[in-house]
Amino acid sequence: MTKFVIRRLLWTIPVLLLVILFTFLLMRQIKGNPFRKTERAVPASIQANLDRKFHLDEPWYEQYGNYVKGVFTADLGPSLVLRNQNVNDIVRSHFPVSLELGAYAFLFAIVVGIPLGVLAALRANKPSDYIAMLVANAGFAVPSFLVATLLIYYFAVKWDVGVPTSGWTTWQSKVLPSIALGFFPMAYFARLVRGTMLETLQQDYVRTAKAKGLRPQRVVGLHVLRNSLIPVVTAAGPLLGAVITGSFIIETIFAIPGIGRYYVSSVSARDYSVTMGLTILYAVIVIFGNLVVDILYGFLDPRTREART
Amino acid sequence: MVLNPQQEEFRERAMTRERGGGVEAGAPVRQTSLWRDAWYRYRANRAAVVAGVLFIVLLLYCILVPIFSPHDPYAVDFSEAYLSPSLSHPFGTDQYGRDLFTRTALGGRISIGIGFAATIAIMVIGIVYGAISGFVGGRVDNGMMRFLDALYGLPYLPFAIIVTQLFRTVDFWVMVIALTIASWFTAARVVRGQIISLKENDYVRAAKAVGARWHRVLSRHLLPNTLGVLIVFVFLELPGVILGEAFLSFIGLGINPPKASWGSLAQDGRDVYLAHPSMILIPSIAIAWLILCAFFIADGLRDALDPRTRET
Amino acid sequence: MRKRTPFALALLVAVAALVAAGCGGGGGSSNNSSSGGSSGELAADQTITLAWGAEPPSLDPGLATDTTSSNVLLNIMDPLVKLNPTTLKPVPNLAQSWDVNGANVTFHLRHDGKWTNGQPVTASDFVYSWLRTMSPDLGADYAYQFYGIKGAQEYNGCDPKKDNCTALKGKVGVSAPDKYTLKVQLVSAQPWFVQQVAHHSFLAVNRSTVEKWGEKWTQPGHIVTNGPFKLAVWKHDAAIDLAKWNGWRNAKDVKLERANGKIITDGTTAVQSFSAGEVDVNTTGIPPADLPRLKSEETYQKYPALGTYYYGLNVKNVPLGQRRALAFAIDRKEIIDNIAQADQVPATGFSPKGIPGFSAVKNDYLEPTADVAKAKQMLAKTPNAKKHINLFVNDAPGHKEIAIAVQAAWKKLGIDVTLKQMEWAQFLEFLGPPPNKTVDAYRLGWIGDYVDDINFLELWTCKSGNNNTNYCNPKYDALIAKARATKDNAERYKIYGQAEDMLTGPNGDFPIIPIYWYTYVTQEAPSVKDSFNVNLLDQFDLSKVKVVSS
Repeated sequence: MTKFVIRRLLWTIPVLLLVILFTFLLMRQIKGNPFRKTERAVPASIQANLDRKFHLDEPWYEQYGNYVKGVFTADLGPSLVLRNQNVNDIVRSHFPVSLELGAYAFLFAIVVGIPLGVLAALRANKPSDYIAMLVANAGFAVPSFLVATLLIYYFAVKWDVGVPTSGWTTWQSKVLPSIALGFFPMAYFARLVRGTMLETLQQDYVRTAKAKGLRPQRVVGLHVLRNSLIPVVTAAGPLLGAVITGSFIIETIFAIPGIGRYYVSSVSARDYSVTMGLTILYAVIVIFGNLVVDILYGFLDPRTREART
Repeated sequence: MVLNPQQEEFRERAMTRERGGGVEAGAPVRQTSLWRDAWYRYRANRAAVVAGVLFIVLLLYCILVPIFSPHDPYAVDFSEAYLSPSLSHPFGTDQYGRDLFTRTALGGRISIGIGFAATIAIMVIGIVYGAISGFVGGRVDNGMMRFLDALYGLPYLPFAIIVTQLFRTVDFWVMVIALTIASWFTAARVVRGQIISLKENDYVRAAKAVGARWHRVLSRHLLPNTLGVLIVFVFLELPGVILGEAFLSFIGLGINPPKASWGSLAQDGRDVYLAHPSMILIPSIAIAWLILCAFFIADGLRDALDPRTRET
Repeated sequence: MRKRTPFALALLVAVAALVAAGCGGGGGSSNNSSSGGSSGELAADQTITLAWGAEPPSLDPGLATDTTSSNVLLNIMDPLVKLNPTTLKPVPNLAQSWDVNGANVTFHLRHDGKWTNGQPVTASDFVYSWLRTMSPDLGADYAYQFYGIKGAQEYNGCDPKKDNCTALKGKVGVSAPDKYTLKVQLVSAQPWFVQQVAHHSFLAVNRSTVEKWGEKWTQPGHIVTNGPFKLAVWKHDAAIDLAKWNGWRNAKDVKLERANGKIITDGTTAVQSFSAGEVDVNTTGIPPADLPRLKSEETYQKYPALGTYYYGLNVKNVPLGQRRALAFAIDRKEIIDNIAQADQVPATGFSPKGIPGFSAVKNDYLEPTADVAKAKQMLAKTPNAKKHINLFVNDAPGHKEIAIAVQAAWKKLGIDVTLKQMEWAQFLEFLGPPPNKTVDAYRLGWIGDYVDDINFLELWTCKSGNNNTNYCNPKYDALIAKARATKDNAERYKIYGQAEDMLTGPNGDFPIIPIYWYTYVTQEAPSVKDSFNVNLLDQFDLSKVKVVSS
């Protein structure tokens, strides 16, 4: 097991370098002047001053080299647009917000989605199954911007139940965005759990356990649930990464100072260092997320452990 | 659960069918092919059939309405703005007096078009990459998979955004390219996984032992068996691509006006949703409709083409 | 076999029910602002909450470029002069008086200016700050505001790796002969200079703070200011709160105790926030599509602005007769009434209404509405008119809608218009100058830096970095140069009138088609409606705001 982990960890370094190179080259390809924010043209001397200050007048390989050096010393560089902050500051102030939002959304997805799926599977083809799957399918298909808009309209404006329309301050303000972001994973989990449980319920060993006379709850709890959750864990990893990185629409609609919204605006603003810094951050999250999932998978499903080593 | 006799028979045959498509000795001999069987099984799945019908309805709506519509979807006439739904304007009109029934259909053409184009592109690239990686195996496979890992590290939508910025203006093909580049890795992984698992099959080993050349093995045995998985994959990937396009359009990085996609129509609608909620609801419902249909069709196809995966 | 009823159908029924509910309920927003005349009495709690439209990229006067930064800075710092809201003439603020002698301007500072760390505000603070902004190392975007000062442009253009910048620094014409006197030597006489000094880039910074904290000096824990309010809270992308500073020299006249600010960049979100009573003032703006609904409410406020929204034409591609035809085919009023909807003013010339000198500008050729017949005539008389035009706009909200209307208008003349929407930074690159060859028409706006028409008219000189039309007329350049040298305001305004005529008059060259003059729209709760005002440069003065009970 440890060999596996170490090997995977070693692989992350070239992967990370590749990610940095990709983003670096891509960003440089996009035309646009990071220092021209309004229609006012930047006078030549000022442009020269700015290029000099941010080392943009150096050849690209030098810039790349300096940047990589910076990454491995945990210095992600200054922001070209936010002149009094550097990327580390931006990450420090915004990333925890996105993390929190993603975590709550995920929590909602698990707390609502998994029981929903279990219920649907246990009461397969009965009315409660249909209703549960109706909710799940709605969450799956309806785009999150509509979910967010409807939630705001009904709960914050029309019925005014005490949740604000935007912001991320009090606990009340965290409710709607978490639900809006968590709706899709919730649906995903519900469907997935239902599917895997149904499959597992048909397996021979379950029938054997039932035939042996074990109580249904024990059957369900012990064997079925644990085995049904394996695909859920596999899906959870990338899904969590997707939730954290794809939250920018929710962040825009709810005016949440998170990192997703920042990413989009940094690309538009050509804030190279912010874009690259955040890409690296995401890459690290995704890579380690996958690693954790793989390890968990190894623990949960003994069959794969042998196959891997 | 009670099945009708026809369903019973297919279930029976499905459960006794061997891997790889042979017929067990002693089984009833019936002149039929994999595809006919699949079709019958699909037809028996009610939800999939309904979804298929609804999907075709949606396609017809998008294709036919703009052809027969009496309204010019690009004409600007402010006196007709924001009309409520009526017989001549089933969905009402937008801010410029343009008929929304027609615009939604046109938007559908673009959204669905981008969806299918991108999905097929993803499939093609994925097949090539995955087939090579899975088939060749060994260190090449390892290297190619690590490279994929690197690409996985790039977050999907932001990466698509970066790619759209590489081009001056965003049109249909730019969106297709951006969405394809951002999401072809899953296809490659799936294909590779399939190829690897099939590679070890007896019949493939047999073919190799007999001396069949690699491209024959690939094209005659491996790929046709992955075809089922791939068709299902198209309908599974479609929603992701459509949602991706909708999200990009929603934040304003979508297709140029006056062309519209469902995502950009939704964005237009959001600004006025307090006064005219239908303008955001209609394109969102259209998206949801498409996604649900795609899913049930995918479920149905998967059950139909690969009966091993389900037991009920 | 999974037997399921068609979920899709059931789901659609459910969503349809939502639609019905939504349609029935739409339009009724809860507006908590109590109507009815305010009694005019000061409320006990002098606190307001406002919505800021953006996260300020920087609160360093040398680095700030956008309106949010500008507004925060002008309220936490003490500018030398302020502008009279109606006449836009300079009003003494930290500078109690000034003398203008040709190209020399001397400011006499008040003696009671203080920094929040106890140090007095002196003229050398200004010398230090201005030189700092001009220095090539800081990389200040607005350094060009100082180019009117002798030696400033040379100092700013110096390359530290090659030249001796310290020597150039010594040659810059700004000095502090004594503690409260600031002497400025300009390159030439510039009658508008004193008004220009009201801009935030001319604010002073506290030297010891900047030297101690470097780039981090603007953080709430470090920042040292000298204005009526202090920066109490700055949570990036979330909140900026300002609290009254009782140590300010004129604190007794400031009624507002605290201004809490939420940073809300999305217009729809801001409107929702206002209607839910979460903010008292919405400065983020109102999405154009929401305007018809909100215009009739008493919380809606509109202010004129010094800015022109215009379409530029590539004079190398589009011949003169056609340019005039295109200008006359556009129905400005219709665009304003149906798309922009913020009661903007149809622009019949490039110089915006309200700018000093506007009275001398004739503006009687272009009309607020379209004259399609006239346009068709003009087009018919143009032999080499283009049948197909590429129109470029950027992808921010509102512009594509206007472009669609313009596209339809030009179609009436038989011209095919291809609309291309580009992302902002790329759009600007594409426009150069010189603009890309495929550009026939493009959309831009120009907001005044300071309140003199030269700021607008000088755009169309040959060498202007903001002239994306390829328009180069030596006669026009000569006229602008003459205006710069004319000290007498009335005389100068007459020249402005002539310059405007060359652009949009009966014999005008029409390198640009003005569409409308900007307005700023806000939503203001009745408790602050009367005292909260936005001036022509999109600035608001919180020291004048009073919360009244209603």
